[in-house]
Amino acid sequence: MLGKLALAGIKHRRRDYLVLLVGLTMSAAIFYMFANLATNRAFIKANAVVSQASLIFGFGAALLILITVVYIMYANSFLLSMRQHDYGLFMMLGATRKRVGELVFLETLILGTLATAVGIVIGLLMSQFLVGFLLDMLGLHLAHLSAFYLPAIIATAVLYVGLFILASLFNLIRLTRTTVLKLLHTDEQANQPKNHPFRQAVSAILGIVLLAIGYWALAAIKALQVAAIPIALVTITIGTYLLFRATILVIIQGLRRTKWARKHLNGFLLGQLNFRVYNYTRMLTIVSLLFAMALGAITVGSGYHRQLPMMANSLGTYTIAVHDKTAQEQKLIDQLNVKHQATYTQKRHGKVVYYNAAELKQQPFELNKGTTEAKYQTHPKYYNESLKKFKQSGSQSLDFLSLAIRGEQGFFAPKIVSAQQFAKQPGKTVTVTTVRVKDMDQDKQVLKQLNKLELKRFAQPAEMTVGNYQSYELMSGFFGGLEFMGYFLGIAFLAMLASCLMFKILSGAPGDQRRYRMLYKVGVRHSLMRHGIAKEIGILFLIPGIMGVIDVLFGLQMFKPLMQSPMSPYLGIGSIFAIFIGLYAIYYVITLTLYWRIVLPKAPTD
Amino acid sequence: MATNTVVDVHNLEKTYGKANERQYKALKGLNFTVEAGEFVGIMGASGSGKTTLLNMLSTLDVPTKGDVVVNGHDVTKMRGNQLADFRAQEVGFIFQDFNLLESLTAEENIGLPLALKGTASRVMDQAIHEVAETLSIADLLSKYPSELSGGQKQRVAAARAIVHHPAILMGDEPTGALDSTSARELLDLMTTINEKQHMSVLLVTHDPFSASFCQRILFIKDGQIGSEIKRGDQDRSAFYQQILNELGTFNE
Ligand SMILES: Nc1ncnc2c1ncn2[C@@H]1O[C@H](COP(=O)(O)OP(=O)(O)O)[C@@H](O)[C@H]1O
Ligand SMILES: [Mg+2]
Repeated sequence: MLGKLALAGIKHRRRDYLVLLVGLTMSAAIFYMFANLATNRAFIKANAVVSQASLIFGFGAALLILITVVYIMYANSFLLSMRQHDYGLFMMLGATRKRVGELVFLETLILGTLATAVGIVIGLLMSQFLVGFLLDMLGLHLAHLSAFYLPAIIATAVLYVGLFILASLFNLIRLTRTTVLKLLHTDEQANQPKNHPFRQAVSAILGIVLLAIGYWALAAIKALQVAAIPIALVTITIGTYLLFRATILVIIQGLRRTKWARKHLNGFLLGQLNFRVYNYTRMLTIVSLLFAMALGAITVGSGYHRQLPMMANSLGTYTIAVHDKTAQEQKLIDQLNVKHQATYTQKRHGKVVYYNAAELKQQPFELNKGTTEAKYQTHPKYYNESLKKFKQSGSQSLDFLSLAIRGEQGFFAPKIVSAQQFAKQPGKTVTVTTVRVKDMDQDKQVLKQLNKLELKRFAQPAEMTVGNYQSYELMSGFFGGLEFMGYFLGIAFLAMLASCLMFKILSGAPGDQRRYRMLYKVGVRHSLMRHGIAKEIGILFLIPGIMGVIDVLFGLQMFKPLMQSPMSPYLGIGSIFAIFIGLYAIYYVITLTLYWRIVLPKAPTD
Repeated sequence: MATNTVVDVHNLEKTYGKANERQYKALKGLNFTVEAGEFVGIMGASGSGKTTLLNMLSTLDVPTKGDVVVNGHDVTKMRGNQLADFRAQEVGFIFQDFNLLESLTAEENIGLPLALKGTASRVMDQAIHEVAETLSIADLLSKYPSELSGGQKQRVAAARAIVHHPAILMGDEPTGALDSTSARELLDLMTTINEKQHMSVLLVTHDPFSASFCQRILFIKDGQIGSEIKRGDQDRSAFYQQILNELGTFNE
């Protein structure tokens, strides 16, 4: 009988349950995708470059678990908020606590298990398609990435079902400890927090001090090393919390005294915020921190990737060197945006490679100051040396040596001889063409083909790179993994934190239902109520968003020592922020639509 | 004559339930009027349709058939925003469960109808303090509903109902959740409002004591007006006796 009643209650709110279920399912799916990437041995082994980043993956997984725990906490409180009135009613009707407790436990567990199972299936599908798509977009090719990986499935199932068992127990304890009356009337409480000037002043000052320490720690990462991160994490979180809690009431109460507050529903909006924001402080602080992490992850990941060509260009003088170019290769070279090009004839004999002085005089070998002087690392400065000087210094540069590789033994020793001598010199004749392009990113596809052809004909020791393009490829393998992590974690974080906020806000909806019903009776227009709700929820979304952006702007300081100017972690963050804000806005709209549907009184119809 | 009528109900019918569902006819052709400045009571047993009637008058629900004219507005012809504006401007309502917003102070609650109209802050202050004087709640203005007793809450609700000078004050069992002292205070206040501000009052109740404060009482039975009695020059206790007698015969 009770089971039937409970089922009827669920049916009545099936749309809200659907939202909850979809949210939990997505979370499980994201977790599976990540677990699959992070733990898939075959995949990691096959991608040596990426395996260097497996530490980062582990770190990411830890963060993801953390946010999953927070997420399920809020989803669960949303579930409870929907059900507690019913449960209270059952108890009032004479159902024993034990019976209701069983019901609560089962309901939570069934919902959770269902979400986990569906989530893993969706995660499998997403791994198959989405991950491939994301990698493709980043120009990465990771071999042996299979969507189905048993240990990842087990990890996801164990974590989620475990968390749901905990959540069920929590609900059980919570419901059996509260009185029936409280369960029936929880919606009606709207405690107005009081001002405590002295306490607030102290906590504001403490908050500012902690924030200052946190931001300083981020900027001083060079001195503090790894310790900077935990220091900043703790101080910024607590500092934000204290400062926010100390100031928000003063601000809202100040606004309440203005004339603006006495127009239309503004006073009601401030009254709502007054008790809501205060109760939300902890939540908003966590969300703002997660927001910052997500945004930071994407910004840093993509920042490295965007700056790769710049970094690669500081490593050498030419983009690519082609030996004994074929007609096909010549065709490809013609497609490049060439900035500088030269062709030299070599005669390789014994351990020595001979060059023709006349040829070098006519088209001197270009050198890059960036490879030797730190000052020019990011503004490559190309120059030539006189032949005499070149014989002593330039010809010993790695770039020049690399034009004649002698297998595992290193390089042929270069020797520059006069034209007559060169003509008489015995040895194997090889021509080599060096090309420097204007923009590596732009010519990426052609360069890739060229490089492939070159490597096929002239084997090269592993770990050795010739030309900036090869350095670029090597680095993008490494940083690409980082970038992929950044995007993946960033989007996952954003999705989960925005849903946390959504569930937290929606948990308050049943209480607001009564308030808007009252407003309706007093004669408030529908449109006014809609706008009021949009503003209220908008502010609740905006606060962590703004705090998170500030955290990121400071947090990126941490990466400054790793990127020398004009490379900067702040480069091009505008577009990343825009994508992020767009995604966040979608969550706002979803929350708002749901809230309107739950809260707005329905006008009578005949 | 017509200009003095505040409420005119003609052949009012209300049927609950959709056409294809089980239907229940709560009001079956009701007729009555309330003149300006009158204090009218509506009595009837539980389930007789009192709340239903009041919901029609205050546009919280729509009639199935018939006309309702309040202060010259044909309520049945209004739609959307017109309905909300009508509630906000023409009627003051006191509910059994107070209907106060607990996130707002008493002052903010009382000011709400004025804020909705966009009244200037200064005018608003004046109106709030005037009504707070009348209802002796001036010292409660800065408190939140959770800090008030039931009687105090209902006085704040009454202040909110009349602060914008509506054409009619309606109460649906406003004393239902109050102890006898607070109930009496509220009824005295409503009498004061009726006499001093010449505001029409429509009081729905099942309690003879509350009803004895009215000038005229309509008895509803089975969705229709069964009978009507007038206080005339009698004092309240005599009228109370008359009500009890009427209920005795009415309920047979
Ligand atoms: N929304 C509704 N749907 C169906 N029936 C209703 C609804 N509201 C009231 N009724 C029925 O109409 C009748 C009159 O109810 P009501 O006006 O609340 O009575 P009163 O206020 O006099 O106690 C009752 O029998 C009640 O069951
Ligand atoms: Mg009633």
